Amino acid sequence: MSEVTIECHRLIKTFGGVRAVDDLSVSFYAGQITALVGPNGAGKTTLFHLISGMVRPDAGEVSYRERRISNLAPWRIARMGIGRLFQDIRIFGHLTVEENILVAFPGQMGENALWAITRPVRVQRQERENIAKANRLLQRIGLEHEARTRAETLSYGQQKLIAIARLIATGADALLLDEPSAGISKENTQIQDILKHLANEGKIVVMIEHDYSIVQKIADQVYRMDAGKMTVLPTAAAKCPM
Amino acid sequence: MNYLWHMLIFISLYSLLSMSLNLVVGYAGLLSLCHAAFYGLGAYSTALLMTRSGWGFFPALLAAMVITALLSSIIAVPSLRLRGDFFVLATLGFQVIVFSLLYNWDNFTNGSYGITGIANPVLFGWSVDTPFRYFLLAGTISVVGLGLMRALALSPFGRVLKAIRENEVAAVALGKNVALLKIVVFAVAAAFAAVSGGIFAAYTQYIDPTSFMLSEALFILSIVIIGGAGNQVGPLIGTVLLVTLPEMLRFLRMPDAIASSLRQVIYGAAIVLLMRFRPQGIQGDYKFD
Repeated sequence: MSEVTIECHRLIKTFGGVRAVDDLSVSFYAGQITALVGPNGAGKTTLFHLISGMVRPDAGEVSYRERRISNLAPWRIARMGIGRLFQDIRIFGHLTVEENILVAFPGQMGENALWAITRPVRVQRQERENIAKANRLLQRIGLEHEARTRAETLSYGQQKLIAIARLIATGADALLLDEPSAGISKENTQIQDILKHLANEGKIVVMIEHDYSIVQKIADQVYRMDAGKMTVLPTAAAKCPM
Repeated sequence: MNYLWHMLIFISLYSLLSMSLNLVVGYAGLLSLCHAAFYGLGAYSTALLMTRSGWGFFPALLAAMVITALLSSIIAVPSLRLRGDFFVLATLGFQVIVFSLLYNWDNFTNGSYGITGIANPVLFGWSVDTPFRYFLLAGTISVVGLGLMRALALSPFGRVLKAIRENEVAAVALGKNVALLKIVVFAVAAAFAAVSGGIFAAYTQYIDPTSFMLSEALFILSIVIIGGAGNQVGPLIGTVLLVTLPEMLRFLRMPDAIASSLRQVIYGAAIVLLMRFRPQGIQGDYKFD
């Protein structure tokens, strides 16, 4: 079995009177694609919120690389290497496609206002390197010719590819993807190929998915969530929405 | 000719004010109603250091930048968790508090009587004591200030501010320390507003709290909205238009009292019409919604 990298231990999260996550324990492994399936309102996105720090658990813990992260701010968890693709994409619409990728790179000197003014040469050198990396990523997703286009003008499918490329640009080793194939035609396997490639690179890939054909095709492990609880599904059984 | 230099001095001052507010409003997407407070804190810091402690203009101006930037954290830090309308109201509260302190803290600020006798700047023996020399001073400082703000806006710092404006949650998910970035942009904007305040104090040689009221904050915001936010051109267009508007009204041969009131009506009408038909302003990159 691959090295355990994200470990959720007896997580509980309640909103009002509703237990969105109910005493849930699960581990996600590097080099695997794990799919979370289940009806709407089952707690899948809440689990992602708990892992990424967007909400704090009422009980239980989340660990990443054996370090407890439940009490950390979301931006710190992201910097540690856990990235998210949101269900509603959340592209930076007024920025260009290239800028959407550029902003995702970690450790940018120029984001420090003082260094942006006092170290322009080093900032510009890093910026040129990042632009080259961004354009290589855009070539990987086939959008290099749209680099200077405002992101909001592109199609939903293209915006989703930009969001995935942005996620890759963060350098995250753990990727939480909320319905990565939603809104994409079944014939288009580009996103599935990207996810398989990322898992082969040794990343943790966890996806919430309602399209069971995609789950069947690429998931190494499948969990079903319902009413805040999780059960393991044999991959073959995932083709029947229960 | 002196009147021309006077106009150009105020265009320089309001360029600094509008471009610094543009960083907060147009780039970071934080609608702020307290920019006149920073303007006033800069003016009073400069004036008090010069008149009470005998500092020269340039050291006082630098100190005013630092003081105002630090004081900006008073509004920035508590506002970090506030969104939308609540954030705007918090900045409004800060504006009101600063004006109240300037107006009522008689022992320190001299209250409604203001501060008089602010000396002219002296630079290596060269005294800035005519409108033309004040234009050279204000113009040079504003060009340098605008250049620095342009460099910031076009840098990765400006880019991440725009990302925060577009979607703060997504920016956090990319590992950006959004809270710290908001504090920094407020501090930078406050420092540049303080520069305007310091030059204003020296130029007029008298300041009182009524120059830094909410109406002034709304005027600076109007410049940004009408000219356009989120780029390096819109606020400058807004500055030239709105600062010279009173002069344009003179061509209508309107009595001064009416012209003053009509100006306010024109500002308000312009904003309403722009929000309806061109929400990004004359040359803006960002629509207010």
